[in-house]
Amino acid sequence: MTVKECYEIMKGDYDDVISRLRTDERIKKFLLKVLSDTSFVQLCNAIAEKNAEEAFRASHTLKGVCKNMSLTNLAYSASNLTEALRGKQEIGDDVEPLFKKVKKDYALTMACIQML
Amino acid sequence: MSAKKKILIVDDSEMNRALLEDMLADDYDIVEAENGMEALAYLHEHELEICLMLLDIVMPVMDGFETLAMMNKNGIIKHIPVIMISAETAFTYIDRAYGLGAVDFISRPFDERTVRHRVDSNVILAEKQRELSTRLSAEIYEKEKDNRLMIQILSHIVEFRNGESGLHVLHVHAITEFILNALRKKTDAYDLSPKQITLICNASALHDVGKISIPSEILNKPGRLTPEEFDIMKSHTVEGAKMLDNIPVHGNEPLIKVAYEICRWHHERYDGRGYPDGLKGDEIPIAAQVVALADVYDALTSKRVYKPAFEPEKAVQMILNGECGTFNPLLLECLKEIADKLKQELTVVSAGNSADRDIQNTVAQTLKTSGAGVSNRTIRLLEYERTKNKILSALTREIIFEYSPSPEIITLSDWGADYLGMPVTITEPREKDFGKRVFKPKDFDKLTTALKNTSPDNPTVTEKFILDINGRKTVCKVLASAIWSDTEHSEYEGAIGKIVDINDETEEMKLLEERANLDFRTGLLNHEAAKEQISKLLVGGRNRQYALVFFDLDNFKQANDVHGHLFGDEVLEYVASTIKKNTRSSDIAARMGGDEFIIFMGYKGTVEPQIKRIFSSLTGEYKGFPIKISMGVACVDKSIQDYDTLFEMADKAAYSIKRSGKNSYRFYDDSLKDITTDRNS
Repeated sequence: MTVKECYEIMKGDYDDVISRLRTDERIKKFLLKVLSDTSFVQLCNAIAEKNAEEAFRASHTLKGVCKNMSLTNLAYSASNLTEALRGKQEIGDDVEPLFKKVKKDYALTMACIQML
Repeated sequence: MSAKKKILIVDDSEMNRALLEDMLADDYDIVEAENGMEALAYLHEHELEICLMLLDIVMPVMDGFETLAMMNKNGIIKHIPVIMISAETAFTYIDRAYGLGAVDFISRPFDERTVRHRVDSNVILAEKQRELSTRLSAEIYEKEKDNRLMIQILSHIVEFRNGESGLHVLHVHAITEFILNALRKKTDAYDLSPKQITLICNASALHDVGKISIPSEILNKPGRLTPEEFDIMKSHTVEGAKMLDNIPVHGNEPLIKVAYEICRWHHERYDGRGYPDGLKGDEIPIAAQVVALADVYDALTSKRVYKPAFEPEKAVQMILNGECGTFNPLLLECLKEIADKLKQELTVVSAGNSADRDIQNTVAQTLKTSGAGVSNRTIRLLEYERTKNKILSALTREIIFEYSPSPEIITLSDWGADYLGMPVTITEPREKDFGKRVFKPKDFDKLTTALKNTSPDNPTVTEKFILDINGRKTVCKVLASAIWSDTEHSEYEGAIGKIVDINDETEEMKLLEERANLDFRTGLLNHEAAKEQISKLLVGGRNRQYALVFFDLDNFKQANDVHGHLFGDEVLEYVASTIKKNTRSSDIAARMGGDEFIIFMGYKGTVEPQIKRIFSSLTGEYKGFPIKISMGVACVDKSIQDYDTLFEMADKAAYSIKRSGKNSYRFYDDSLKDITTDRNS
């Protein structure tokens, strides 16, 4: 599978990422790093511990990582979750569905990257 | 070493850092930090190495805004350009970052071209700024040096014509500065800004410039001047002022104005009886008042054709008594305060260092007044280091010193100087208390020689000395490191080091050592310690007569078996106390272990009476238990070199007693030579 095909399946923006990062090799190198990025695990832990502040930070970082790699789909759901958590002391009811969506998109994205 | 510039990336996401590093690694060395706290810790140590910082906003522990705030507080923000990197693009965020001193803002997702371009241009910009600032200080320095040089040449011409040494100008300059600084603390009646003080001090060099117009027959006349001649002499004030007044173009320069005042009025008197204008009190400009006092002080303390040099104390006394004119009472107070300092400092004022010190001052001042932006960060860092050292040396109560070998100068830390009651700078330390009293001359010699004999690879010297600190003999450790030049052929340039008071430590060590030497049961020495002390005596005291006594208790086993161990111990303690009572302090008594003891003693003539007395005092009974001993004695003669031989002889003698009926003593003789004791069988 080419990098471009991979982006199509996981609903990312290949044109954007190639214009910024210049080469397929570099894109691939950093996509593989996304696999070992810990922000998603931290997000899950923070939600489980009902730590809104920690959850905000982790989801914010996840969003940043996705934006860097033009993982548009996951970036969008992470962004929605981030905004729902921003400035909150407690995790509200609106968080649950947004978090579910993030989990789903994350799983898809990781599966695609693993096939590279 | 890499020639690449270093960039600090501060971001909590490892992935983001890696991405940025990947984009920048071709041109820069990258250092990473996970949050603001880590970044600040790194900057604390490596501020000078970093040419730019990339800073994220949302981070755990310390976020980007807090980091910027801290960098403002400690001033680093002025020296390291910070580019914010964040996915937050709200104006409030951007404004806040700029407000806190960030130079640029790069939003995520990163675009390689943008990142490289912005980093490059900001690095170049900062570099240019630094270069300019360095060049600016260099230029100010050069300009000041030239100015100073011209003034000095001019005033020296006058001095040499006058037959005086060129030192007078330098001294007046230095004294003027001291008085003005003291005066500044006392009153704000005069304009005494640092800039103005520098100006007055510079202008002071010109005070006698008018003497150029005085015929040299009068100027250098050895005898007393006639009234007419004196009138001509007095005209040097007005003449000097006139010369300055006639300088075309620059008449309004502050330096010329102040110099005019000084030239014209430095012979006025506070009571109005001076010349040329008979001004009174504060009608006389303060610059002229101060230079007049400095001039008189230096004239008194220097040798002139018509008078010897007075001691500084005497000179101050003469001025205070009004023997040399009347002065502003405030200035006299200043003189009293700085009298000690003057006495010390004037001996080290020489052409080279005073000029340079002044120029440094001026550069620092100029830089300060032209805004913080150009303040030299290196100077700032050095200043920081110096303060740190000062505080540390005071906290640890260590005397820190610098040593320069030629000419010999010791420079002490402030705390050290205070503690020793000495000036910070000590020239010719070998002639002063520092090298004569604090250190014994031979110790000072030993230390400086040891430092000179070090090598660049192994420059340290550690040595214990007994120093005299404020009259108290104190054991001190001196730790010093020689400084070798960095050039191809390393040269010894001096040393820095510290003097640590280890007196208390040493006392404690002695006590511990003593305790370790003692046998815990009886308080006598143990065998090891006794052996050591005896060996020393055997080597050192050849011409004395010594005897070693060895004995054990004949029936000690019984004491233990019949009366129990506690009673056995009591018996041993009794024997030990009897030994103590019957030996002299110069004797060495020890318990070897078990029921065996030794006594080592000096004697004159014959030892037998001493032995007999000790033997009979030891034998007897304790609480009904009979004490009997088998004692062997060996006398030291020329053939015996070591303790072990001596001990073996005493042991053999005692053994022969044990075999032949016990409870007696015997001297070793050659007939016992081949005997085998339990010990050496």
